[in-house]
Amino acid sequence: MSGVPLPVIQGLQVVTVAGGAPGVSGFIAWLEARLQGRRGPRVLQPYLDLAKLFGKETLVPQGAGPLFRVAPVASLACYLTVPMLIPVLTSYALPLGYMGDILGGGLILAFASFLVAAAAAETGDAYAQLASSRAKTFAAITEPVMLLVVFTVAMITTTDLPYVLGATVRSGPAQIVRPAHLLASAALFMVMLFETGRIPVETHTGTTEFGMIESGRSFEYSGPDLALLQWGSAAKQLVLYVILLNVFVAPWGMASTTSLLAVALAIPAILGKALLLGCAIAVLDNTYAKLRLFKITEFVSAALLLAVLAVFTLYLGGG
Amino acid sequence: MLLAATYSAPTVFDGIANTVALIVLLLEFGMLRAALLRAQVRLYAGQSLAVSVLAAVVAFGRHVPELYALAALSLLLKVVVVPLLIIGLLREANEEIAGSGTLGVTQEVLISIGVGAFGFFAVGVLGIHSEVLPTAALSLSVAVVLVAFILMIVRRDVVSQAIGFFSLENGVSVASLVVAAGMPLILEVAFLFDLLVAVVVFGVLMRTHHRRSQSLSTENLDRLRG
Repeated sequence: MSGVPLPVIQGLQVVTVAGGAPGVSGFIAWLEARLQGRRGPRVLQPYLDLAKLFGKETLVPQGAGPLFRVAPVASLACYLTVPMLIPVLTSYALPLGYMGDILGGGLILAFASFLVAAAAAETGDAYAQLASSRAKTFAAITEPVMLLVVFTVAMITTTDLPYVLGATVRSGPAQIVRPAHLLASAALFMVMLFETGRIPVETHTGTTEFGMIESGRSFEYSGPDLALLQWGSAAKQLVLYVILLNVFVAPWGMASTTSLLAVALAIPAILGKALLLGCAIAVLDNTYAKLRLFKITEFVSAALLLAVLAVFTLYLGGG
Repeated sequence: MLLAATYSAPTVFDGIANTVALIVLLLEFGMLRAALLRAQVRLYAGQSLAVSVLAAVVAFGRHVPELYALAALSLLLKVVVVPLLIIGLLREANEEIAGSGTLGVTQEVLISIGVGAFGFFAVGVLGIHSEVLPTAALSLSVAVVLVAFILMIVRRDVVSQAIGFFSLENGVSVASLVVAAGMPLILEVAFLFDLLVAVVVFGVLMRTHHRRSQSLSTENLDRLRG
C-alpha cells in the first residue's frame, strides 16, 4: 500500500483541528444542556453560527487601530500553527514536528492570547479591557504551573518534544502509574480548565460581564472578525485537548504508519477521544459552581501544588 | 526513530505504592484547605482509607500476610469508628465552619509546600533503603507529618487540631510501613490503640472546651490569665 505523503498528513492535522473544533464545542454545549434537562442547541450549531457571522459586515469602534483588525486573523493563525508541532494523527514525528517543542507550542498559544488582549485594550470598552486584564493577570500565575509540567516532562523523557512523551507513556504500565506522570497530567488538566474558560474558573456561555475572563475580550467584535475569534477559541480548546490526550493521558489510536487507512482512522479516533473528554468537562461544568474571582488563586495554587510535587517525586528518584 | 524514556522508570508496584502514598499527602493538603469541619473529617476518613489500601498493596505485592489484618483493622477503626465519633461530637457542638486560619489558604499551601519540600529532601539525603517500599514513600510520609504540624499550628479550632493530630498518625503509619513493614503485628495494633486513647482525650477536650466557651475556637484561650 502506498503511503500518504508526510506534508499531506501534516496539513490534515491542521484541517482536523480547524474542522473538528466547533463540533467539539457544540457537543459539549449540547451535552451540558441535556444534563440540565434542557434540549440544548444542536451539535452543529457552532458551524451555523460561524456561517452566519461570516455573512455579516464588520464594524470597528472609533479610534481602534489596525491591531484590532489584525488580531482575530493572527490569533487563529497561531492556534492553527500549533497542530503542526503536536501529535494529532500520527505517533511518529512529522517533518515540521521538530520545529518547536512543548515550550514553543506554549509560546505560540500565549502570543495569540496576548494579541487578543492587546486588541481588546484598543477598543476603549471597559468590559473588554477588564476581561483582558484579568486574563493576563491569571495567565501570569498559571504560567509557573505550565513550566513545572514542562520540567516534569523534560525530566521523564530527557527532552521536551511531545512525541517522545507520548512514546514513553505507550511503552508500558510502569510509565503510567508513576506519580510524576499522574500529577503532571492532573496539573495540566487544571490549567486546561482555566485556559478554555470552563467551570470552576468561569461559565463558558455566561452572560454576566462581571464573571467573564476569556469570553469578555471579544465584546467589540462583530461579523467575520467575531467568527474568527470564536473559531480561534474553539481551535485553542481542541489543541489543548489534543495535547492532554495524545501526549499525556491516552496516546493510543494514532496512526503508526503512513498508510491511508491508518491516517483516515486516526481522524475519528482523536475526535472521539476529544468528545469523551468533553463528556467529563460537561459533567464537571454541571457539578461545581463557579469560583469567586479571588478564589481562582486557590484553584491555581492547587494546580501548582500538583506540579511541584511531580518535580519533587522525580528528584527523589521514586517518581 | 523515536526514543522512549532513557530514564528507567520505577516498577509498577513501586509506582502504585508511591501514588497511594502521594494520595495520602494530597488529602492532607485537602484538609488544610477544607473550610467545613465535616469536610475535614471526611477527608480524614479518605486519608485513612488510602493508608489501609497502601497496607493492602504491600501485603499483596510483597507477600506479608499479617498486613492484611492491619489493613482491615485500620479500615475499621480509622475509616469508620473515629470519623463517626467525631461527627457525633460535632452534632452536639452545632458548629459547621472551621475556625479560619491565621493565614489565607494560598499562603498556607505555599508554606506547606516549602515545609513539605524540606521533609522530602531531608529524608532523601539520609539514604534509607527499604526492602518493601520505595524511598519516595518514606519522604512522602515525612511530608505528611510536617504538613499535619502546619495544619495544627495555623488552624484556630479544636476539631481541626484534633484532625491534624490524627492525620499525623496516618503519616507515621505510612512511615512505619516503609521502614518496618514486617514489624510484629502486635506493635502496629498498639499504635492503633494509642490513636483510640488520643481520640478519647480529644473528645473530652472538645466537649469541655465547648461547654466552657460555647465555641470550638481556641482564640479566647489566648486571653486566659493565671
